[in-house]
Amino acid sequence: MTNTPSDIELITKLRQGDKAVLLTLYDRYARALYGVILKMCKKEDLAQDLLQETFLKIWKKIDQYDADQGKFFTWSYRIAKNTTLNSLRKVSPLIQTDDLSVYANRDSEESAPKDFSQLNGTLKLLQPHHQRALTLVYFNGLTHREAHKEMNVPLGTFKSYIKQALKQMREHYGKMALSIIVCIILLANG
Amino acid sequence: MDRKQILEEGLLELYLLGELTPGDEAKIVDVLKSDADLRRIFGELESDFEHMALENGMEPPSSVREALEKEVSSPKVPVKTLSLPTEVKAKAPSKIRFLVAASLAALFALSSLWLYNNWQTADKNVRALEERSLDMEERLTTIEKNYNDTSNKLQKINDPNIVPLLLVGNEKLPEGRATAYVNHTTKEVFLNTKGLPAVENDKTYQLWADVDGVMIDMGIVPTNQELIAMQYIDNAESLNITIEPAGGSDHPTVENLVSNVYL
Repeated sequence: MTNTPSDIELITKLRQGDKAVLLTLYDRYARALYGVILKMCKKEDLAQDLLQETFLKIWKKIDQYDADQGKFFTWSYRIAKNTTLNSLRKVSPLIQTDDLSVYANRDSEESAPKDFSQLNGTLKLLQPHHQRALTLVYFNGLTHREAHKEMNVPLGTFKSYIKQALKQMREHYGKMALSIIVCIILLANG
Repeated sequence: MDRKQILEEGLLELYLLGELTPGDEAKIVDVLKSDADLRRIFGELESDFEHMALENGMEPPSSVREALEKEVSSPKVPVKTLSLPTEVKAKAPSKIRFLVAASLAALFALSSLWLYNNWQTADKNVRALEERSLDMEERLTTIEKNYNDTSNKLQKINDPNIVPLLLVGNEKLPEGRATAYVNHTTKEVFLNTKGLPAVENDKTYQLWADVDGVMIDMGIVPTNQELIAMQYIDNAESLNITIEPAGGSDHPTVENLVSNVYL
């Protein structure tokens, strides 16, 4: 059995000055965060710089992370999302002054030649409107109030989409976890 | 804020996505600390989102890790990324535009200040000119009035019907001189008293006309006057000046006669 350190253990080491631990966290979460950033900004070179910036912020702000308030990945996701949104806001500071303009800009970029919006995993199995709702708030960085307008449905309806989507995801991941546990038990019993 | 409200309103999702206000976020954190079931539900939600992110993850190029490793290895704690992001590079023109705009704004502000100062100076000059103009106008009015008076006097004494008469002081007033201008046509008499010396405060000069041996009052004579109108008396044979008590007398004090002239 491999002795994989938990996030908390890595964070403790990082706080104690073990800088190399940052690369371990990078190996663990860079792929997921890069997917989020790339889907949000849709530019590879920018996404790479933002990913690096995200991890440097994680390093710099690691003392602010509170495990009681959520998982490390959730905290990292918020840093990646805010870093990306701030970068997109700064693209045209003399013109763009609020979030909506940034989102409008992002929408126009959806027709860019290279498509990073392809979905995988459980999300791909959901109904299109559930996929769209989750993608808008999680991968595009829109707020609920912005996203329901984007989908042209009332806010209440949009919230229902999110709930239904999350419920289906929970059921699917729950089954997956159960299957894994059963496999492990069967393998253990030989 | 209770569990029911949090679940019904989807506040856990909003908290996870970082959409809540700091106030609402603090409330959720408090509730999560005290509600184990809610904490479990939130944990599942976090795991599901994390799964979704992992499933939709993309492999970043190794250069990002290498750059991060280099940054971590450097003794200095980083503040920014190692390389200038492409987007930041793209922003350079925006920065230049911003600097140009800021420069133009500063230039505009300086020009406005300069114009304002000039305007203030011009306004001050205009006010000074207006004051001078008013002063000049007043002076001109006075000069015009003086000119009219003088012109009028000159006209009167230059009248061909005027008879100028010099009143020379006698032994009592040897230095005294006065000039009378008599116009029998218009029946006017003017007197120039510039040559009469001043008298004591309780005394005054008085002019008299001699008509058949009777001295008739022609009026008090002030000193230092260029041309003063006096009472014209018909059939006067001579003009006489006496020194009288201040305010004048009804009858001349003959012993105080200082000058006379025959017409």
